[in-house]
Amino acid sequence: MAKKKINIENSVRKLRFNNNEMTQQELADLVGISRQTVVAIEKYKYTPSLELAYKIALAFNKEIQEVFYIN
Amino acid sequence: MNIKIRNTLAEITGASVAMIWMWYNLTEASIMTIESVSKVLAQGIGISIIVIIALTIVINIFSSIVTGNYEKNIEDERDKLYELYALQLSSAIFGISIVIILVLLGWFNLTINTGLIAITFSGFIASIASLFLKMYLYK
Repeated sequence: MAKKKINIENSVRKLRFNNNEMTQQELADLVGISRQTVVAIEKYKYTPSLELAYKIALAFNKEIQEVFYIN
Repeated sequence: MNIKIRNTLAEITGASVAMIWMWYNLTEASIMTIESVSKVLAQGIGISIIVIIALTIVINIFSSIVTGNYEKNIEDERDKLYELYALQLSSAIFGISIVIILVLLGWFNLTINTGLIAITFSGFIASIASLFLKMYLYK
């Protein structure tokens, strides 16, 4: 099977705004990461580990596939 | 410029300053004893550590004054991943350098002083290269 690159995108930015306009710093403090990592995730420059992805989904009370998805 | 880039920049500057200092103190390495060469190299490593710590403190204080807020340096999985990439690069450069230095030492029949200086400098160069990679990844 040929190797195919998977683009994992997310709706973190949208979910932040839907959650009382939560700031990047607030989300970072909630899941225990730096604000720069939140910025990188939102810009699709960094794909988080499964554990961190679950933490972010839990912070928004969402299922993981509602936050992170394949485009 | 965020705190990660600032700290990496301080580390690059510290290592560069130490390298320049060592270079100017080793101009007569060919006639120096191995003890005095080792002393300069050890002092250079010490200088790099002191300069890095001092620069990190000064740059962060200056940044806090300019921006008006204190930015905490939180380490997370992304930092560990980038640290690993940097370590891979520095290990590769240092490993290859040591092999090349050993071959050249035997080939040209160079002195132990030359080998010692070359190994220390290759360590610094490997470190600086890995720091530049970290800066690129954080950008």
